Amino acid sequence: MKLIEPKNFFAGIWKENPIFFLMLGLCPLLAVSSSLKDALGMGIAFIFVLTGANITVSLIRRFVPSHIRIPVFIVVIATFVTIADYSLAAYLPKLHRNLGVYLPLMVVNCIILGRAEAFASKNNILNSALDGLGMGLGFTLAIVIIAILRELPGQGTLFGIRTFGENYKPFLIMIMPPGAFFVIGFLIALKNSIGGRKRC
Amino acid sequence: MKEKIKIILFVIVLGMVSGSILLGVNRYTESRILQNQQLKIKKAVLDVFEIPYTKENIETVFNQNVEIVKFDGVSFYISKEKAVAFEFSGSGLWGPIHGVIALNNDMNTLKGISIIHQEETPGLGGRSAEKDYLAQFKGKKFLPEIKIVPAGKSKGENEVDAITGATGTSKSFETLLNANIQKKLDLFKQRR
Repeated sequence: MKLIEPKNFFAGIWKENPIFFLMLGLCPLLAVSSSLKDALGMGIAFIFVLTGANITVSLIRRFVPSHIRIPVFIVVIATFVTIADYSLAAYLPKLHRNLGVYLPLMVVNCIILGRAEAFASKNNILNSALDGLGMGLGFTLAIVIIAILRELPGQGTLFGIRTFGENYKPFLIMIMPPGAFFVIGFLIALKNSIGGRKRC
Repeated sequence: MKEKIKIILFVIVLGMVSGSILLGVNRYTESRILQNQQLKIKKAVLDVFEIPYTKENIETVFNQNVEIVKFDGVSFYISKEKAVAFEFSGSGLWGPIHGVIALNNDMNTLKGISIIHQEETPGLGGRSAEKDYLAQFKGKKFLPEIKIVPAGKSKGENEVDAITGATGTSKSFETLLNANIQKKLDLFKQRR
């Protein structure tokens, strides 16, 4: 493969979108998408961790003993997650509180672990960084769309700002777990009807 | 054998690099995190006392309006109207819950509750930390105990609504509130 391939960046955003195509990482997606603010914060933390982990894994890929590569990847990812965790606690305490347990849970997130194993451990640093950014943006895009479709009907607000006026009665189920399943189900159906189904 | 030594060496180096990076990040952020935590407690105390403040003047407002007394290492915050607040903590359904309760100066009814930290399910149990939910605790009798009853069924002067879909959190919340109030109130009455 060439030193730098832009298609690695775009693959994650649409064609191989981790949520809509690979169907990975649904846990934080379902849990933190009830408000747009939290979703955006989660997405940015996710991009940081995924890109950082991809670059590091690619950097050390020639030295990692293959027996223990998965634990090694987890240590690398955990380091980045902890950096994100401390920084958010120090500088954005409110977001840190809202993300709660889903921030440290990123350590075992299957998108991040999956990219380390499937991509970064086999490709050079630049391509791994592009892959991390693309996949991270793909995840962020998905979680932001879902958060908009949940917060808007579920609370009548967007970014915490009232959009439907005082008389709007929130459609509460949308910000509860079933709402997340409805939205993601419809989105995947929509995606399949326009983008065609991926043959496995 | 050579392979094994390589693995051990690799793990040691990885652990050291990762550990020292995190040590550095920790040193860099520690004081700010601590400051944030203290600020959160001060905010929570001002919240339950319903003393208005802005982001900039929290420290001065707090120092002017609240007196801190310590018994056995437990801090009690006393407002000008002699309402008493203290921190409470305990386990929720998924993780620790930490907050501040204030009792009115009649030592019989709640002035308010504010949550500092919780790890309940976002959107469900996590809503127990929201102001709208906590507002219903105001003026409720906390003796002999607070009861959290299914949503919409609260009638008695010591009863409040639970959160629908978060029975576990509501139950834990009830238990930890009562336990904390009992313990801290006894301590406060004894030493006062």
